[in-house]
Amino acid sequence: MGTDAAFLAPVIPAVTFALILLTGRRVPAIAPCLSIAAIIASFAVWIYVFVAFLDDGAGTRSVEWFTVGGFEFTWGTTVDEISIVMLGIVSFVAIGIQIYSLEYLRGDPRLWWYFAVQSLFAAAMMTLVLADNLLLLYLGWELVGLGSYLLIGFWWERRSAAEAAKKAFVTTRIGDVALLIGFVLLFRETGTFDISTIITLAHGGVVDDTQLTWALLFIFGGAAGKSAQIPLHVWLPDAMEGPTPVSALIHAATMVVAGVYLVVRLFPIYRMVPEALDLIAVIGLLTALVAGVIALTMTDLKRILAYSTISHLGFMMLAVGAGAPGVAMFHLLAHAFAKASLFLGAGSISHGSGQTDIREMGGLWRKMPFTAVTFWIGALSLAGLPLLSGFFSKDEILLAVHTGRLNGGFLIVTFVAVAFSVLYTGRMLYRVFLGPLLPTNEAAHEPGSRMWAPIGIFALLAAGLGGAAFEWSHDYKGFVSWVTNSEEGFHLSTSITGASVVIVVIGLYLTWLVYVQRRVSSVGTRRRFGPLATIAERKFFFDEVYQWVINEIVLKIAALTAFIDRAWVNDIGIDGPGKTTRWGGSVLKYLQTGMVYNYALGMVIGAVVLGVVWWTI
Amino acid sequence: MNNFDESVLTLLLVLPFAAALALVLWPGDELRPMKWFSAAVALATTVLVAWVILGFDYTEAEQYQFVSETEWLTQLGIGFNLGVDGIAVAMLALTGIAFPAAILVGWNVDARSKDYLILLNLLVGGVYGTFVSLDLFFLFFFYEIAVLPMYLLIAFWGSSTNFPRFTRLKEYSAMKLVLFLVGGSVLIWISIIAMFVEADLNTFNLVDLQRVGFDESFQNWVFPLLMIGFGLLGGLWPLHTWSPDGHVSAPTSVSMLHAGVLMKLGAFGIIRVGIQTMPEGAEAWAPLLLGLGAVNVIYGSIAAMSQTDLKYVIGYSSVSHMGYVFLGLATLHTLGVTGAVLQMFSHGIMTALMFTLAGAVYHSSHTRDIGVLSGLAKVMPVGAFFFAVAGFASLGLPGFSGFVAEMLVFLGLFQTYPWIGALAVIGAGITAVYMLRLMAKVYFGETAQRWETLPDLKLNEKLVAGTLALTLLIVGLAPFYLIDVIREGVRHIPAVTG
Repeated sequence: MGTDAAFLAPVIPAVTFALILLTGRRVPAIAPCLSIAAIIASFAVWIYVFVAFLDDGAGTRSVEWFTVGGFEFTWGTTVDEISIVMLGIVSFVAIGIQIYSLEYLRGDPRLWWYFAVQSLFAAAMMTLVLADNLLLLYLGWELVGLGSYLLIGFWWERRSAAEAAKKAFVTTRIGDVALLIGFVLLFRETGTFDISTIITLAHGGVVDDTQLTWALLFIFGGAAGKSAQIPLHVWLPDAMEGPTPVSALIHAATMVVAGVYLVVRLFPIYRMVPEALDLIAVIGLLTALVAGVIALTMTDLKRILAYSTISHLGFMMLAVGAGAPGVAMFHLLAHAFAKASLFLGAGSISHGSGQTDIREMGGLWRKMPFTAVTFWIGALSLAGLPLLSGFFSKDEILLAVHTGRLNGGFLIVTFVAVAFSVLYTGRMLYRVFLGPLLPTNEAAHEPGSRMWAPIGIFALLAAGLGGAAFEWSHDYKGFVSWVTNSEEGFHLSTSITGASVVIVVIGLYLTWLVYVQRRVSSVGTRRRFGPLATIAERKFFFDEVYQWVINEIVLKIAALTAFIDRAWVNDIGIDGPGKTTRWGGSVLKYLQTGMVYNYALGMVIGAVVLGVVWWTI
Repeated sequence: MNNFDESVLTLLLVLPFAAALALVLWPGDELRPMKWFSAAVALATTVLVAWVILGFDYTEAEQYQFVSETEWLTQLGIGFNLGVDGIAVAMLALTGIAFPAAILVGWNVDARSKDYLILLNLLVGGVYGTFVSLDLFFLFFFYEIAVLPMYLLIAFWGSSTNFPRFTRLKEYSAMKLVLFLVGGSVLIWISIIAMFVEADLNTFNLVDLQRVGFDESFQNWVFPLLMIGFGLLGGLWPLHTWSPDGHVSAPTSVSMLHAGVLMKLGAFGIIRVGIQTMPEGAEAWAPLLLGLGAVNVIYGSIAAMSQTDLKYVIGYSSVSHMGYVFLGLATLHTLGVTGAVLQMFSHGIMTALMFTLAGAVYHSSHTRDIGVLSGLAKVMPVGAFFFAVAGFASLGLPGFSGFVAEMLVFLGLFQTYPWIGALAVIGAGITAVYMLRLMAKVYFGETAQRWETLPDLKLNEKLVAGTLALTLLIVGLAPFYLIDVIREGVRHIPAVTG
């Protein structure tokens, strides 16, 4: 079957990674060509597989990896609606990002290394997406983490970049510990890692309910780490230390949605455990809200986008928790292109004006009209401006929360979270592009074609993909139905849609008053919220609390353990007997006087003692 | 089976000893030919190991292959019996890679290199001997031979270090290491004599003793002696303290063999002499081994977090990683035991790689203080690359052999002891913390002025690092060769279920 060719999509960039590693230092110029050629080839594979998939339907293929005892471990690919969508996003966005990077990172002495890791990341991400079993998925999952680590730390001479890379890896690793425990628990219950078998067995009632619940909760822990859900979100804003195209690819469009993807992939069993879905919904909503609030107070453009990403990942999780994985996938799709264009736009702004702080910007549309238009499209799409793709996907989320398994309270809080996403979007857009142009930015300029072309294409998709929501034919009843294989067609709720449109309009108007008209003082508004604003600005103190735990608990325990090992286990437990022996020897040696009368005395005493003992017994 | 198959293990065993003797009698003082000679011998053993691996029949075959039996002291039933099972083959593969690597890295030793090479050859001869002996007397004999050269190697060629709170003298480390191992040997020797007497067959033949089926009460008191006696060479907590100190004081190539191969002798002894002869004893004492192994994993990794010396971090990391071996063995489940043996191989290669790189840093910078080192990736990019490979292999990144090994251990643990399994997974998580901390401190950040002129890896180091890294990768991606062989050994152990 044609879908069997899917394995080529990750294999091509993997081989390219090896090639670049071998040649890169000697012939650096060849690395970008190899890497881009590979990712285009992967995209071609995607087209081929997609066509085959439309003809033949879903297909899996697996080969034995190794066998131990009665257990077989395999490598295999699954091509179905979910994985084909993800594969398309990953390969397509990666092409744009790599071409953009050619100009953005031109002249960097380690460009070959950058493209090597890009290839590694592409291979890992596609492995994760296509994997038909949890073990292979975990392999891809960890390797995308490696790619992320290496690219965040790409400028490792900067201490902050090295620290951010470490923080990202370790934080997601905490989630991964849970993830692995969850996977192994499922293996223990079913004897296999194969996802479809696990689902079948679970549906067949073979898996113990308690074990299944624990396994799924642990797996969500991993998903929460990767997808930057509270309380494991702290690594993502710091990950902005990496080059901007990396932020666009890994920390917006692809890797960070892996958690959502995993939960969607396992949704058939998550559906069986309402407690797990409840937790996902609560964490997702909380993340959407808190990150939205923080985004409103950030001043670094990339950090605003990072918190916006966290917030939208929260919305996706919320959709899954509401029992609508298809909606989550739709928002994932819409968000991927919109956020990619936004990050690349932010890259263009810093590239063209040298600014990263929105307080240093303003009026930039005069200097960078193209960037301005694409940036507005991406941002407004995510804010949910009608007819842009984000409008449809966000609408579907609200609808899912309203009609799904969650209670009314969720809908209200979701609206609040949506309102914040409109507010921070308005603030960002107005402060960056409208208002007076600062004299320092007189020299700001548009980027070259390698940078604007990808931005333009992503922005177009961010604008137009909403059309996929509609029921176009008898076989295609809208994206959400298609991706979940359900018969339910596309529908709208006038009250929900109406409310969301009102929120968008009011939100954009309010921020207009504050940041463009300046009728309401932003400083005054901030003061009115007093300590609440401080909490938001300090990012709800997550970093401080974690730092305290690390310094005061983790490192102290480590130091204590090392001390115990040194002072007690070694110096007392091990050296102790040695020293005692030496001391005993040093005392006893005085008995060896060499004087005959001393020995004679000893003999007499000994004889007397023995005699007394013998006599008493 | 042809004639060469019968003598290949004898040849493998005799080669290093013959080389040591040849070096003793070597005419002239020219060092280069001696080094080349040693490298050639080391590679020759690798070729013999490859012969054994390729010729090993792992399709439902006999337990011990390449068997050769020679009578030696018939009155006591001692015979020079050699043979390998799947587990021994995996260990031979490890030694066959680590031995030439150590010789190559030891190329830079200038002081009394002749003696150095003689001792390395003796040590490795002992290691090969332990892995291939099927007679308890000779197994013990070679075991001792492997251990004793360590004393001289560390005490003479090692280094003493001043730390803020204490000083670690190389003589102290050497003495401690040897006293420990000799202490363990006493326990082992008692057990061996006890088995000899209890079986009442007048034989030290291991294959015969494995078939005896000792009394359960006998097993219950002898197994712990073996477990502790061999276990301390594997770094079993709380008898691990010789190991980090030994690493820190030892010269690079000795650290490589020490952590890479020698610690595996302990775990190998637990399997070969302990679990294989005393299945019920193993079952009875598995919970203790499990508990100590879990402490190894967690305690070792937490202690590694606050070390400030590059080699101490690696040393405690070894303590932690050997914990997975004990945990895997204690499961007495096919998955876990296979994982444990794979972990022995994987950890051996990985640690050898790490010590190679730590040695390269130490030799050029003359410090191992991770508070002082910084930004070395700029001046030694190749070293940084390989250290990252070793570091990520160590924290269990999929694609490297450690992942497959640890995964199998986890799967085995979850079959029987899910809580310990969860603890083991957490231990692997902590590894990421100290490994990444180490890499961030030593290799990343701004390059301090004083390190601007450090050289990158030398050719021999590059060669070794490349080979070891490639091994980690190949076994990580295609573990089936090794796993099939190991499984073939594990299949024959009666105590192992599943």
